[in-house]
Amino acid sequence: MRISTKWNTWLTAYLMILPLIGLLTVFAVIPFLYAWYVSFSDWSFYDPWKFVGLKNYRQVLLDPKFTKSVIVGLKFSLYVVPASLILAFLFGHSMRHLRGKSADFVKTSIYIPTIMSGVIASIIFLFIYEYQGGFLNYAVGLLGGDKIAWLSNTKTVLIAIAVPAIWLGFGLTALIMLAGLLDIPESYYEAAELEGAGSFTKMFKITLPLMKNVILFLLVLGFNGSIQELVLPMVMTQGGPLEESQTPSLYIFNHFRDDILMGNTIASAILLFIVCGSVAAVLFRLVNSEKAAD
Amino acid sequence: MDKKRIVSKTVSSAVLLSLVLTGCSSSNSTDNDGTSAENTAQTNDAAKTNDAGATNGEKPKEKVTTELWVYKFEDYNIDWYTRYVDEYNKTHENHQVNLTVVPGDAWDTKIKAAQAAGNPPDIWNTYYGDIGARQATGQILGLDQYTTPDIWNDLLDNVNKMVSIKGDHYAFPMLVEPSVVLFYRKDLFKEAGLDPEKAPVTWDELFDYAKKLTTGDRFGLQMASKAYDYSWTNWGLQVGHLGHRVISDDWSKATVADEQYLNLLNFYKRFYDAGVVPKESLGGIKALAESKVAMQISGSWEISELRTTYKDMADNVGVAVMPSPDGDYTKATATLGGWTLVVDSKSKHPQEAADFLSWFIGGDPKIMMDFFQKGHFAKFPTRKSVNDLISQDPASANDEWRKLITDKIVQYAASEPLYPWEVSFAFGSAVERSLLTGQDPMESLKQAEKEINDIIKLKELAGTNPALQTQ
Repeated sequence: MRISTKWNTWLTAYLMILPLIGLLTVFAVIPFLYAWYVSFSDWSFYDPWKFVGLKNYRQVLLDPKFTKSVIVGLKFSLYVVPASLILAFLFGHSMRHLRGKSADFVKTSIYIPTIMSGVIASIIFLFIYEYQGGFLNYAVGLLGGDKIAWLSNTKTVLIAIAVPAIWLGFGLTALIMLAGLLDIPESYYEAAELEGAGSFTKMFKITLPLMKNVILFLLVLGFNGSIQELVLPMVMTQGGPLEESQTPSLYIFNHFRDDILMGNTIASAILLFIVCGSVAAVLFRLVNSEKAAD
Repeated sequence: MDKKRIVSKTVSSAVLLSLVLTGCSSSNSTDNDGTSAENTAQTNDAAKTNDAGATNGEKPKEKVTTELWVYKFEDYNIDWYTRYVDEYNKTHENHQVNLTVVPGDAWDTKIKAAQAAGNPPDIWNTYYGDIGARQATGQILGLDQYTTPDIWNDLLDNVNKMVSIKGDHYAFPMLVEPSVVLFYRKDLFKEAGLDPEKAPVTWDELFDYAKKLTTGDRFGLQMASKAYDYSWTNWGLQVGHLGHRVISDDWSKATVADEQYLNLLNFYKRFYDAGVVPKESLGGIKALAESKVAMQISGSWEISELRTTYKDMADNVGVAVMPSPDGDYTKATATLGGWTLVVDSKSKHPQEAADFLSWFIGGDPKIMMDFFQKGHFAKFPTRKSVNDLISQDPASANDEWRKLITDKIVQYAASEPLYPWEVSFAFGSAVERSLLTGQDPMESLKQAEKEINDIIKLKELAGTNPALQTQ
C-alpha cells in the first residue's frame, strides 16, 4: 500500500512536470546543444559543415573587443544593479506603512516604466541627451556650463545608458522589495522596540537579514539582466564611442549582423553564457541563500 | 480509485502535451520544397485553374512561386516595387512573385533565420560591397547561365565590374548612390558674405568656410562624427586622393600608418578641435534644413528627403562635390554604394527568378526611370539605356543636381571595398580615438595597423580578395 502511494506520487509529479520538461527540451536544451555543436564549425548556412575545432573560441578570446565588451557589461551592471537595489529598498521602506488609494497610485505609477519598451525608453532618453536642443544640455546651459556630448564622450556614455536602465527596472525591483518588506511580521519590530532596539539595530538585525533571499534574488536577476543589456546601447550609441558602451550582447549581435560565418557569433554567445553563469555562481557564494530565518 | 486517477492524469497530460506541440508546429508549416503552406495553396489553386483551362490535352505548366524580400526604404521605393511586381504577376500566368518588405532593423534576423532553416527567399537585396563575401560562401548564384548577355552589356562599365566575379555576374544592379556629396545653405552663405554659387573645393577652403559659417547656435559643417561613419565615408577619398585603401590589394598587410592616412585623420581633427563641427551627430539633412548646420556632407540619398519633407527649403540648398586635398574632382571622392538583387543558391526556381529580374531590373528602361523620377534623382542608374532615356526627358535631363552628380561624382567614384567591415572600422576607430582621447594621430594609426594585421591573421584574409581571383 505504502509503495503504491509512493509510486503514485512519483508518477503524478513527473506527469505534471512533463510538459515543462518537453518545452524546455525543445526550446532550450536542444538549441543549446546544437549551438555548442555549431560553435566548433565554420557555418555559413550554405557550405557543407566544416569542423574547425577550437578556432572560433580562439578568435573570440583573442579579440580584445570581446574582452572589453565583458568588462563594459560588468561595469554597466555595477552602475545599474547596486543603484537599483538601494533606490528600490529606500522606496519600499518608505512605502511600507503607506495604505489606501495613495499607496495604490504610487505603486502603479512606479510600475509604468517596467511595461515600457526599451526602444521607446531609448528614444526618450536620446531626446534628453541630445547635444543641441536636448533637455539636459539646456539645463546645463542654464547653470552656465558648456554643452556635453553625453553619448559621444567616453567618460559619460555608460552612465548615460545606465540611467534609463535603472528607470526601466525600478518598478519591478521596488515592488518585489516592498513585498519582501511587507512579509516581515510587525511583531518582530514590536518585540525589538520593547527590548529597546533603535532604528539602526532594527534595520541591521531584523530587516536586512530577513530580506537576504529577496536581495539575492534581485541581485542575480539584476546582474544577469544588465550584463546582457542589448537594446539601450544598440539604439542609443551602437556601442560607441570607442566601444565604451558595447555590451557583450551587442558585440554578439554586431557579429551576427556583419559576419558571414556564424561560428564566431555562437562561440561568443556560449562564452557569455559561461560569464553569466560564473557571475551568478559568485553571487550565490557571496550571499548564501537559506531558508527564511523565521 | 487511485488507478482511475492515474489514468485520468496520464490522458490529460498527454492531451495537453500533444496540444502544445501541435500548436507549435501547425502554423506556417513548410513542405519539402521549402515553400510555405500558403504558397503551396496558391500554387495548387493555380494548378487547378490551369487544369480546368487545359483543352488541348497537353499537361499544363505548373505555376511557380518565388519569394522576393526587399529592404524597407522610402515609401516611394515600396510603392514602386509593389506596382511592378503586381504588373509582372498579372502578365505572367505561370509565375507568381511574392513581395515581402522587411524593415531594416529586422532584416538580419529575418534573413539569417530563414537561411539557417534552409528556407531563404529566392531573390533578395544586398549591397555591392557584400557580393564578394556572398559569392565566396556560395550563397548566391552566378547569373550568366540564366540570362542573356545584352542585360550585362547594357551596364555602365564601373557597375559591371562591381557585380562581376571570375567572369560571371552575381547580382542585378538596381542603382548607385554616391556616398558623399556636399550640401550647403545658399542663404547662410550670403549671410556670411560668401558667394552662394561657389562651393568650397579644397579641404583648406572647406575649413575657412566652416569657420565663417559657425555662429553661437549653428555649426559651419556637419560630417562624420563617430567611428562608424569615419570608417566608410572616406572610402572614395582613400582610393582617389590617398592612392590606396587601408589594406593592401592582396589583403596581406595593413597600409594605414602612413603620411596619407595621417593627413586624412588630421583633416577630421582640424575641424573637431576648432569646434566648427558638432561633437555628436545632429541628424541627417534635417539639421541643414533647420539651420543647425550651414554645410553638410552626406550621401546623395538625402536629396529625396530634401525635395519632399523640406521642399520649401530645397531652392536654398546647393549641391557640390565633396572637397578634397587638391580640389580635383576627377579623382574619386565618393564610393558608389547602392543596392542589387541577387538569386539565392538554394532557390528551387533560379531560372524563373532570373527571368523576373531580367524583366524587372534589366528589361524595359521605363521601369527603372520611373524609380529614379519618383525618388527625385537621389539615386542613379546603372544602365546606359536608362541614362539615355533620362537624357531624352527634358525635365529630368535639366535637373541640375542630377547633372552635377552624374557628371562630376558618379563617373569618377570608386567601388566599395570587399574586405570585412572590421578592417574599415579599425581606421574609423583610430580617428575617433585621436579626437576623443587626444591620442597622437600617428600612434592611433599604428594601433589601427596592428588591429588590421591581427584581423588578417585571425581571419586568414591574405590572398583571399575575390577581385584578384580569376578562377
